[in-house]
Amino acid sequence: MATLNINGQTLDIGNDIDPSTPLLWVLRDELGLVGTKYGCGIAQCGACTVHMNGAPVRSCQIPVGNLSNEQITTIEGLAAADGTLSPVQQAWIEHDVPQCGYCQAGQIMSATALLRNNPNPSDADIDAAMSGNICRCGTYVRIRAAIKTAAQTMSGTAFYNADTGSQVA
Amino acid sequence: MTPPSNSVMPAFFEKTSYARDDKSLAADISRRRFFKISGIAGGGLTLGMAMGTSQAAAQDGSSVAEANISPYVQIQANGRINIFSKNPECGQGIKTGLPLIIAEELDARWADVDVVQADIDASRYGLQLAGGSLSTPMNWTAMREAGATARMMILAAAAEQLYVPVSELSTRDSMVIHEASGESYPYSEFAELASSMPVPDQQTLKLKDPSEFSLLGRRFGGVDNHAIVQGSPLFGIDVRREGMVYASYTKSPALGGTARSFNQAHIKSLPGVIDAFILEPFGELIGSTIFDAVRLGGVSIVATSTWAAIKAKQELEVDWDLSTADTSATWSDISANALRLSKQEGVMEILNKGNVDAAFDNAEQVVEAYYEYPYVSHANLEPQNCSALYENGQLQVWAPSQTPQAGEAAAAVVSGLPPAAVTLNQTRIGGGFGRRLNNDYVSEVAAIARRMEGRPVKLQWTREDDMAFDFFRPGGFHAFRAALDAEGRMTAFSDHFLTQAKNDEAEQPIETANLTPDVLPMEHLQNVRIMQTMQAAAIQTGPMRAPGSNAFGFVFQSFLHEVAVAGNRDFRDFLLDLMNIPDEDMPQPPSNLPPGFPPPIPFSNTRARDVIFTVADRAEWGRPMPQGRALGLAFYYSHSGYVAQVADVSVSSAKEVTVHKIWSVADFGLIHNRSSAENQVQGSIMDGLSQLMYAKISFEKGIIEQSNFHQYPLLRISRAPALDVHFLEPEDVAPTGAGEPALPPVLPAIANAIFTATGERVRKLPLSESGYTLV
Repeated sequence: MATLNINGQTLDIGNDIDPSTPLLWVLRDELGLVGTKYGCGIAQCGACTVHMNGAPVRSCQIPVGNLSNEQITTIEGLAAADGTLSPVQQAWIEHDVPQCGYCQAGQIMSATALLRNNPNPSDADIDAAMSGNICRCGTYVRIRAAIKTAAQTMSGTAFYNADTGSQVA
Repeated sequence: MTPPSNSVMPAFFEKTSYARDDKSLAADISRRRFFKISGIAGGGLTLGMAMGTSQAAAQDGSSVAEANISPYVQIQANGRINIFSKNPECGQGIKTGLPLIIAEELDARWADVDVVQADIDASRYGLQLAGGSLSTPMNWTAMREAGATARMMILAAAAEQLYVPVSELSTRDSMVIHEASGESYPYSEFAELASSMPVPDQQTLKLKDPSEFSLLGRRFGGVDNHAIVQGSPLFGIDVRREGMVYASYTKSPALGGTARSFNQAHIKSLPGVIDAFILEPFGELIGSTIFDAVRLGGVSIVATSTWAAIKAKQELEVDWDLSTADTSATWSDISANALRLSKQEGVMEILNKGNVDAAFDNAEQVVEAYYEYPYVSHANLEPQNCSALYENGQLQVWAPSQTPQAGEAAAAVVSGLPPAAVTLNQTRIGGGFGRRLNNDYVSEVAAIARRMEGRPVKLQWTREDDMAFDFFRPGGFHAFRAALDAEGRMTAFSDHFLTQAKNDEAEQPIETANLTPDVLPMEHLQNVRIMQTMQAAAIQTGPMRAPGSNAFGFVFQSFLHEVAVAGNRDFRDFLLDLMNIPDEDMPQPPSNLPPGFPPPIPFSNTRARDVIFTVADRAEWGRPMPQGRALGLAFYYSHSGYVAQVADVSVSSAKEVTVHKIWSVADFGLIHNRSSAENQVQGSIMDGLSQLMYAKISFEKGIIEQSNFHQYPLLRISRAPALDVHFLEPEDVAPTGAGEPALPPVLPAIANAIFTATGERVRKLPLSESGYTLV
């Protein structure tokens, strides 16, 4: 039985799955983790962004057959087990960032990865890290503001463990 | 052959202003009819439903009695208040906005409110639609009355239960207060009795004075934000059902072709493929309105996963019958012909008033310019999709549609089912922008689901499908002339508008490719002539955010700036002078709406001048700017909203454009959710920036040439300017829609700044075609 390490859990995906299937569609169709979104299929929009061993990747470009022990984190894995939202998720709510909301899971995954590596990003840092994520509704000024708020909240503390994908109190 | 009439709703959707007093609206009438029905026969219904279980209660296993006070308000025994949001949510914030209005008049504490997406039901909710910036103005009075009605019924029940006269009771924060005794009681204590109270006469409702508002005007986050940031299922694409199968649909690249045959045996042998079959076209897509039930012919592949359906699609080989397709439309030809035709007399007169020829003969100076803009795609980030289940003669549809009622009707029409056999569930929409006013994906999945009877099907378009089969914003061309007198005042204005029609026989332009005779300065000058010439182009078009205005804003406000410059006038002063006409002298605009809708209200020069004054102040218009950097100004009026914007722009010698900041001042009447209204303006500005710099759809022999975001770029965060968003809220002006009117002035504000900074006037969209890059 093939398995994937997703959000700190080992999940079965069966043996019948076509190894060329992008991780995106395995998450959505097989595992029901529909927070990761399909936007373009060619790594242009960032709506499908997840973390692989803590780094942001476009899940539409990762054939599931290429995965073995990588730790995958999706938007569904950011909140604590008790439901407490991560600082980035909270900042997104505080700034009322979403319009349609479709891209925001990908935006939050990219922002979360940015803040793990750079706890106090400048505008230029934010623009560089977030340029792979299109927001068709144009929520960019709020995304910038929310990332800065999240940075202040976090003050450099990790909020999930990139090695295991599990939540750290 | 004349196609069958597939219209499922009246085409009332046009760019029009709406009267503030919307009491005669069709939606309102339907709503009152419901109240009346529920007042007479509703006792049984209400009692029956009162014992039901709410969604939230069902989830946590508890059983909570709830009472339906109205189609919009349901109060649970535990004190939670369900408010039903009738219209589709596509990012415009209406799922939060309409319930806020109800909660205000209901005197509900917002923290007690759970917003529930309403069913599609015209008998209870009237028109359910996300378009035309109509949701707020059309429902403002009705939502206030819904809240006030429920509040009065709660008060009546409280008076009966507490044995006190209603006059001794008041309400606040979901509580009934009896001041004399100092007691207060939660609404839930009276909810069950309230639900059986007679519905008060509309005349007896006392709506709040805006000074009494405790919720409206403040900032509220979207009610789905918690679900969005956690990736919870919300959107059409997120629909999952037990035993679901997944479909792709492949249409003729040349629009209108039908499938003769395809490599069916091979496709059906591919891993995961369950079925593959041809669907015949339904209706006629080209030139259809948003309320027509239409479907292009093509080949559907149904598989065990989305990926299997997409992968098999890549191996599809179809023998297309192109005899019904248009293979002639080529954008470069249309563009070249338009320039040639622009030099001839226009074919059709749209407006001719005063004595235009005499004014030009007597002009001290004549300004002429020719403008061009291309077709543009909506590019919703959620590619079109739709789910459906056909079982036991019933069709269930889950659709991210801006016109769910038309979608439901379309599903019935294309399936040959009675309307009662079809139920459409509305989902959150991953970007509307007008694309999802059309329900072509509903018509497709309805046919696929019938074939796959008993199995729920999700139809998923690829991004490439989405870009090729959009209902595009049409391109167009304008040959402008203006006459100036010795003082630099404009004395006459003319436009030869070159646009497209579905074929050579058509008497009107194709959908949304028409020019209405109310764009500034048409109503503000004595001598105006607008002529029109059409070329055939069988490319499907439809409304896109601020239809018409999204292109006219750029061309008219750029040209007026040219006129001001030629007359040596400051553009702010030029616009203010042009609109220095008493409001009462403005003409009554023509109504594009069917009977039953209110007449549009005339343009207010006072409100227009106020937004221009204010934005100029905020941006410090007229201040000295460094070399290569300038401020640009533009004003536009659409969807009853007045918006003026100033852009601060630098341009390098290599034509690299930096937009440092944009100031926006809008008058949309009363702002009822400030965060949401700001979000709409901010988003409109970013959208306008994409259109100015990048957006272009071209076609060659009827085939769209762009396929994905590498060929059709959208603005990214690194190019997003700083924004200053401000609202003017004149007294006693009810809210109008905020989702569209802030887009049209963005493009000319930046383009006018580029001219001022460089001396080069760009008259063609997008600016990338003229060598400009956004940095």
